[in-house]
Amino acid sequence: MTPAPSRRGVLAVTAALAALPTFKATAAPRRPAAAPALDTDARHRLWWQAPADEHSMIEQGLPVGNGRLGALASNDPGRELLLVTDATMWTGGLNDTLDADGQFPYGRRDFGSFTLLARLTVEIPDHDLSAVSGYRRTLDLARGVNETSYVRSGVTYRRQIFASHPDDVIVLHFTQSGGGRYTGTITLQGTHGEEPAVSFGATLPNGLRYGAAITAYGSGGSVTVDGPHIGFTGCRDLTVVLSGGTNYSPDAAARFRDPSLDPHQLARTKVRAAARHSAGTLLATHTADHHALYGQLDLSLGISSAEQRSLDTWERLRARARDGVPDPELEAQYLQFGRYLTIAASRGSLPLGLQGLWLDGNDPDWMGDYHTDINIQMNYWATDRTGLAQCFDAFTDYCVAQLPSWTDLTRRLFDDPRNRYRNSTGKNAGWTVAISTNPFGGGGWWWHPAGNAWLCNSLYEHYEFTASRAHLEKIYPLLKGACEFWEARLLTMTLPGTSREVLVADSDWSPEHGPLDAKGITYAQELVWALFGNYCTAAAELKKDTAFAATVAGLRKRLHLPQVSPTTGWLEEWMSPDNLGETTHRHLSPLVGLFPGDRIRPDGSTPAEIVKGATALLTARGMESFGWANAWRALCWARLKNAGNAYQLVVNNLRPSSDGSNGTAFNLFDIYQVEQGRGIFQIDANLGTPAAMIEMLLYSRPGHLELLPALPDAWAASGSLSGANARGGFVVDLRWRDGTPTEARIRSTGGRTTTVAHAGSTRTVTLRPGDTVTLKGFDR
Amino acid sequence: MRSSSYFAMPARALLVLALTAVAVPAAHAADTPAPALAAKPYMGWSSWSMQSSKYPGLNPDGDYSYLTEANVLKQTDALAAKLKKYGYAYVNIDAGWWMDKTWKSGFDQYGRQKPDPVRFPHGMKAVADRIHAKGLKAGIYLPAGLEKGAYGDGKTPILNAEGCTTADIVYDDLRTTNGWDSAYKLDFSKPCTSKYIDSQARLIAGWGYDFLKLDGVGPGSGKSGDQYDNVADVAAWHRAIADTGRPIHLEVSWSLDIGHAADWKKYSQGWRIDTDVECYCNTLVSWENSVDDRWDDTPAWTRHAGPGGWNDLDSLDVGNGQMDGLTKAERQSYATLWAIAKSPLYTGDDLTRLDSYGLSLLTNREVIAIDQGPNPPAQPVTPSDPQQVWAAKNTDGTYTVALFNLADTPAAVTADWTTLGFTGKASVRDLWNHENLGTYQSKITQALPAHGSRLFTVTPRGTAATLTAYEAESPTNTLGGNASVADCSACSDGKKVGNLYLGGKLTFNDVIVAKAGTYQIKVSYISGDARSVDISANGGGATRHKLPATGDWGTVASVYVPVTLKAGANTITFDSGTGYAPDIDRIDVPKS
Repeated sequence: MTPAPSRRGVLAVTAALAALPTFKATAAPRRPAAAPALDTDARHRLWWQAPADEHSMIEQGLPVGNGRLGALASNDPGRELLLVTDATMWTGGLNDTLDADGQFPYGRRDFGSFTLLARLTVEIPDHDLSAVSGYRRTLDLARGVNETSYVRSGVTYRRQIFASHPDDVIVLHFTQSGGGRYTGTITLQGTHGEEPAVSFGATLPNGLRYGAAITAYGSGGSVTVDGPHIGFTGCRDLTVVLSGGTNYSPDAAARFRDPSLDPHQLARTKVRAAARHSAGTLLATHTADHHALYGQLDLSLGISSAEQRSLDTWERLRARARDGVPDPELEAQYLQFGRYLTIAASRGSLPLGLQGLWLDGNDPDWMGDYHTDINIQMNYWATDRTGLAQCFDAFTDYCVAQLPSWTDLTRRLFDDPRNRYRNSTGKNAGWTVAISTNPFGGGGWWWHPAGNAWLCNSLYEHYEFTASRAHLEKIYPLLKGACEFWEARLLTMTLPGTSREVLVADSDWSPEHGPLDAKGITYAQELVWALFGNYCTAAAELKKDTAFAATVAGLRKRLHLPQVSPTTGWLEEWMSPDNLGETTHRHLSPLVGLFPGDRIRPDGSTPAEIVKGATALLTARGMESFGWANAWRALCWARLKNAGNAYQLVVNNLRPSSDGSNGTAFNLFDIYQVEQGRGIFQIDANLGTPAAMIEMLLYSRPGHLELLPALPDAWAASGSLSGANARGGFVVDLRWRDGTPTEARIRSTGGRTTTVAHAGSTRTVTLRPGDTVTLKGFDR
Repeated sequence: MRSSSYFAMPARALLVLALTAVAVPAAHAADTPAPALAAKPYMGWSSWSMQSSKYPGLNPDGDYSYLTEANVLKQTDALAAKLKKYGYAYVNIDAGWWMDKTWKSGFDQYGRQKPDPVRFPHGMKAVADRIHAKGLKAGIYLPAGLEKGAYGDGKTPILNAEGCTTADIVYDDLRTTNGWDSAYKLDFSKPCTSKYIDSQARLIAGWGYDFLKLDGVGPGSGKSGDQYDNVADVAAWHRAIADTGRPIHLEVSWSLDIGHAADWKKYSQGWRIDTDVECYCNTLVSWENSVDDRWDDTPAWTRHAGPGGWNDLDSLDVGNGQMDGLTKAERQSYATLWAIAKSPLYTGDDLTRLDSYGLSLLTNREVIAIDQGPNPPAQPVTPSDPQQVWAAKNTDGTYTVALFNLADTPAAVTADWTTLGFTGKASVRDLWNHENLGTYQSKITQALPAHGSRLFTVTPRGTAATLTAYEAESPTNTLGGNASVADCSACSDGKKVGNLYLGGKLTFNDVIVAKAGTYQIKVSYISGDARSVDISANGGGATRHKLPATGDWGTVASVYVPVTLKAGANTITFDSGTGYAPDIDRIDVPKS
């Protein structure tokens, strides 16, 4: 039994957040007195004129989510389909028996896979799509509501679908005006062999318990349970409430289960609790909660034409690509859609995986897992930049919860003599990860030694953005363990042609590219260099481990850093002048010091030849990749202040996907073409592209802000950004006109002193936390 | 001047070009009296869909065994009870009435098809009588040519033709003919030959049949060349039927050569334009095999349909979703196309097992009126893209407008009033749903399911669209690659731009509009076969559109294509890309 939440319980929740199950009983939500009055501007609404096909839900279904519980909705008038997910609905387990090559198995049973929780259908036979007119559906990004409307025999029918974080349910609210009635059938069905039922509970082969439940209520007609279905007849309006989840617990010691949690029972409790309220109350509660996050950032990139505004979202995307005319409002919507996805899929449960919270089946490519060699990091590049700091916690909490297991696996398995990446020093300490990770402490595919450094650097960046000491305390064990790993792993090498001794990473694979066993790959050198620096700052800030920090600082000084190849003129990816891979390879691993790192800066502080070599390598990688690879390229070009290239790569990602081609699907999900005619959803581009858009408007590192570093012509006329977090502990509001900032407001969230630069002019501001300064006159 | 068509399909194109030199008579002038036969597309039932299907239980005694007297009469009763009052009149017996259940043919002493005594124990006349007794009309079937089994060493006598035997009606080399090569080709230069046709015609007229499907007819039925040219057969049948004195509707089948449209119109009351609609699978039909072919294959034929002779799209199997093998949306689209194309409406369904949706499709009086009414058949007003719009201008000033989504997923489809020839407002009636949807400004957009459709009557409340013409051959245009100006008698100003192939390009310079926006430009073109072209404005991204075939290289058709223009002067480019594009006559650009 889950104890009823009490005030003391709530306090305890706060104290031990990381160990609580993600599907849990919660206190009654705070409800707004009235529905919040929100910006009704159409720029926050995406809209379409056709529903999704049931077989193309990943490209056409519209996503809702409460941070844990999500769905893709078809919005078909006659047959609403929701593909329901819970972020923790994973097969697989610890996966701690290595394959013959010393690497991890990577299958759906051993490593596991993200899977669907349930399918919900609401059938309304009289509302066949062929019989209705004026069909329209919207995704209101500001309210977090998916709405469908159409006319049948003179009656206007509307349905709203939303996933409420406060009530922890998905709600479908059907209304009409003009004297219409709803008659039909509601069916809930699991996807792991369950029969249809109004509620169900079961256990996966890995022991994970799960369950889901629905209830429905309406007025003016009857709503009755009819065997495994709920039938409704002659209803003037209808509300369907769904909840569900698993007994996953982010606690390695408990093997990631809460044995006391009965998800079936909890789901029933949750839908019953929510059903005590009107749909209007549930909606107002949800909207207030959602908008509290969504409203933290606003963005205008300029004004679109009346013609552009008249088009539905899909036509608009097609026109953008066909006519080659910038559509600044659409481009800003794309960014806001990424924020919407983050709010919907990264709160209080597991973080965003390869597909975020959304699936169309139980066999997502690459298991819908956590890829640690770019994808999970990219998923969180925009989070702070777009004013969603709270949504970063799911990523942090995941790493914190996995750490005991990652440490255990590293200690037990990394030394395996069959593992080509084991430490040749004979030492083993700390922790690292595989390229893929699951939520049960397990890894999949190959070892990924430098993955620990990249995860840590990402978590550390959140500290830079927020200046949150509590966050730094939380991630400190991760940073320290990663440093211990590298202290044990680094090799001393005499740099060829010199007598200089340097430290290099042991044999490793520059992610998914080139030789499998290269020492001193740039990727690892850059990440470890940044890790060591971050650790030393953290130890000093927290006044911990002074001696170890000094050791780490010493190691850092001796780290080899990449050179420019005299052969190719590129920053070297391997410690070799030769091009050992594919010139246009998707990964930019050797440029990790340009972005997300910022060791390589075009501001004169980095040797010009290094900047030139990085630029040459980036140029060689090309402009025609796909989703996340384009987003990363755009970020690198933004760092190099090449607005034209950065913008072009953003635009490339906005190309409409057809028949599985790379680009943006009907529902704005990013599609990666895995083979001719088959594309799959990868959420990283939906989140990485917005990061690039922000990086074009605002560059930050602790102590330094640069306004409009790579503003493209398309957005130059006028625009504004407000609520962007900046590294160093500031929030920035910015307005510009004719390519020049007209006003910048800098608010400290913990940062003290920073320079603020634009086009060569620099000012220094010093603030106390909470204080704001407004800067003007950049145009003079 | 060589047309680009020459390069694409040398053999056929030459043939077509030669034929189009002959003036084709206009379909049927409005003031001619209604013909005695096929004044309207016929409506009824045909046996072949169920015969050809492997749907469980339909053909228990082997392939095609469904065809029996008992089954025909069962369907007759059901047709009379459920559909007759909506205009369905014909009960058509298809292939096999003279074959036993191993598909072995039987012939009488004169080499004529003889009813199989197991299938039709009371003979064919008894069946026709029973059909007539229900107030319905009876149809029967024959293949073209002298069936091999009827030849009988050449010694089989021909009825009422003294001295004539089967050897005297075929070629000495016994060359075969028809779509299956199942018959010897008839030699109409021999005097005995027409007597054989007379004997067959008298046989079916004597039994009382009102309809004959003559099948395997060429050029068509997958065959071409003199050996498969059965025009003389059809002409002989036309005359022989007239000589019987009984009005018998003659329908020819299948995939008739459009180059011979004038012949089919002259001698028959309908012609199958396409291959069998049936899938020969576990259902009666399937969407891909081959209902959906008709959207591409019908437009070239549209101008040939009219009172006295109609484009036959084949059986309309929409009456039972499970047996048909189609979704509801597909069934509605199927029925919509048949109705707006004014195809004969004959179902191949089991009329004793119509589901309620199927019955509603087959008995929608507003839709039947589109097929049976006085208005012309609809044609595409947009390219053959996955989302397309077809329309016909009706005699009362309204338009019949069909929206189709041929894509595999739902999509919005828009009918822009400009593509109908007017601007402003229009009121819209939904024929399938029997609803007035209200007044729409400039256009109507509807969400359509995968393979879905809508069918509207649109009543204009606005004004005629005003367009500015730009001739393709204008010297101010830019030609690229092999593109060149050619004479074209059907074209405005007598010229066109052709040879748009393998990089051939035509750019209209100085297309002027007052304000920026998306314009529906009318593209007048010639394309014997369906061809695609990349259309772009001002050097921007091109959109590839497939334009419906015009059927030959002497006929101009037009469709509307959306192009985004800026205020002032624009360029519009037609680029063949790596393929073959239609010849372009001109474009017309709306003034606003």
